Amino acid sequence: METKNGVFFSRRTFIALAGIAGCTALTSGSLVGCGSGKENVPAVAAFDPADWDALLEEANGQTVTFYGWGGDENRNEWLDTVVAETLKDKYGITLERVPMNINDILTKLSGEIQADVADGSIDFIWINGENFYSAKDNGYLYGPFTEYLPNFVSYVDAASAEVSYDFGEPVEGYEAPYGKAQMLLWVDAAKTPDMPTDAEKFLAFCKEHPGQVTYPAAGDFTGTAFISCLIAAVIGKEEFEKLTKIEADIDKIKEIIEPGLEYLRSLNPYLWQEGKTFPADSGTVSQMFADGELVLNMGYSTPQLDMDNGVIPATVRPFLLDNGTVGNTNFMAIAKNASHKAAAMVAINEILSPEIQASQYEMLTTITVLDTDKLDSEQKAAFDDVVLGDGSLPLDEMLSKRIAEASGVAVPLIEELWTNEVVGK
Amino acid sequence: MSMPNARAYKKAAWIFLVIYLICILVPIAITVAWAFTDYWPWPSLFPLGFSTRGLAEIFNSYSPVGGILLQSIFIALAVSFLAVVIAALSARALVHHDFFGKELFRFTTILPFLIPVTVFAMGVQVAFIRMGLANTVVGVIIAHTIVALPYATVIITDVTAATGARLEEQARVLGADKLQTLAHVTVPSLLPGILSAASMSYILSFSQYFLTLLIGGGTVKTFAVVMFPFLASGDRTIASAYGLVFLGVTFIVFLLFESILKRLGMREHQSFFS
Repeated sequence: METKNGVFFSRRTFIALAGIAGCTALTSGSLVGCGSGKENVPAVAAFDPADWDALLEEANGQTVTFYGWGGDENRNEWLDTVVAETLKDKYGITLERVPMNINDILTKLSGEIQADVADGSIDFIWINGENFYSAKDNGYLYGPFTEYLPNFVSYVDAASAEVSYDFGEPVEGYEAPYGKAQMLLWVDAAKTPDMPTDAEKFLAFCKEHPGQVTYPAAGDFTGTAFISCLIAAVIGKEEFEKLTKIEADIDKIKEIIEPGLEYLRSLNPYLWQEGKTFPADSGTVSQMFADGELVLNMGYSTPQLDMDNGVIPATVRPFLLDNGTVGNTNFMAIAKNASHKAAAMVAINEILSPEIQASQYEMLTTITVLDTDKLDSEQKAAFDDVVLGDGSLPLDEMLSKRIAEASGVAVPLIEELWTNEVVGK
Repeated sequence: MSMPNARAYKKAAWIFLVIYLICILVPIAITVAWAFTDYWPWPSLFPLGFSTRGLAEIFNSYSPVGGILLQSIFIALAVSFLAVVIAALSARALVHHDFFGKELFRFTTILPFLIPVTVFAMGVQVAFIRMGLANTVVGVIIAHTIVALPYATVIITDVTAATGARLEEQARVLGADKLQTLAHVTVPSLLPGILSAASMSYILSFSQYFLTLLIGGGTVKTFAVVMFPFLASGDRTIASAYGLVFLGVTFIVFLLFESILKRLGMREHQSFFS
């Protein structure tokens, strides 16, 4: 969900922006040289992440800031109520959620670090993918820290690919998993009862509803992921997952996905605006679906909450493609210059608890990042007892049809290939 | 001869007025409708699902919006006050005085126009961190004032030039001291410009998102900062509800501006004859 923003801020832009901030830091440093000296003193003199009890004690009474995408009112409410209250009651920590897009967060963080601020305003961040890569690469993150979190050690399968890698980038303990997302497609079953679950059926579906199907352009997070799903539907899961470990070689990538690109071109004549243009973001596609202009929509979260809110009809039904749909993990990282590292670690640890993860699954239908084999029967029951609405799919069905996302270096190249060889072709 | 012409002009004026009102009122009406609607599919002419979800989100119990709204209004009022005072003084210098480097000074007053806010914000952020102004309300007010200043300066410079110095000179000749001239002649004659500049500065500050975010760092929350994620995520119900509150609050503040300044103007008018 939050990862929607990820794409708008390519690594190149980020480095360029960081450069500008750096230059400004130098010039303004010579102009306003005073005052920076005292800020270099670390806020916490001796911080030992291995001593958990001392950490709990230090965290007590701290206010910790959590920066992340704030465009999902249900998640906001969940964080402000369930998570915030638990942290307050159990550890005396006040959680302050700051709604900000990931590109703004990283701009702010880079500015603070360029200015040598030791007690930064950002404590922990909701992040993944390319943004994680650039933040880690630039040394903006604190870590490794996950090995010190009791719940991470007890309940998370640290060796699994979805926890140890983030879009092909080794995590190396610099971020802790938060939730798992997976692409879903959905239609209004009252209008179109047939669900196009493979490439052939999808083409037939587009022919049957000319001009009423489209997807967000590559570059939008959902758009890129949906394009990946259709490519995988054509070339198969195994072939597609070669893209998770590939170097940035556009010819090699093209060789792998060419049948998929060919298929995407064959869809164009039946799509909205005959595939000459595509909506810029998933928000637009969702609105067009809600308005009845489109008969199919897709996304990283289930349509359940929109159905409950009455934004879309209660007759909407989600489905997966037979070859599977792409999924990824989103994470929490701690800023290098965070003022409240202790409270951030306690908060992240608590979000990894079976109780909070079960609550996240129940209220937001977010797939848990815990290894369910490591839970006891009571903890497991908390997940199994969640009654799913018609807008959700069972957890085991999702996980059985899950494809790993292409790597961080392959994603921009796939987007480039789509832009050059699919749009309007 | 002139009668038919006048009638035609009047008719044209009416047509323009109606077009103008449609352009202003229809979007507002749609915003109002969407603020209370969840479901409005094509081709139905009227919204289908009534909903208070948007307002419930704004006035929820877990993250109170009242304090944020008051803080935004306070910041915006402070910005309009600072911008108007500085702009009026600059305008006076530019119109009534000659000094070395005047053209350079004139150029620097519009300089903030020329730099994109995003670039400006990143530079100011680093500078403010060093000065200890980052993450403070004062810092946000100063940053907003810099953005609002060129607008306020241009508006007040025009009014200052149009008014000229004659009325002031006359007042001085008639025996008014400097303060009396300022209070009873200069400020009242600039009132229309001051009102426009204050309103402009207010709205610039109140709607500032990125700059507030960077300088305020999330610790200084304003209404625009809380509202923006919903505009970006495409949730029309919540975005419209926020838009409605934004509109209402701004409208009330502008009414207050007008009535206060009108009262000031009235007082001058009476004292002139008494």
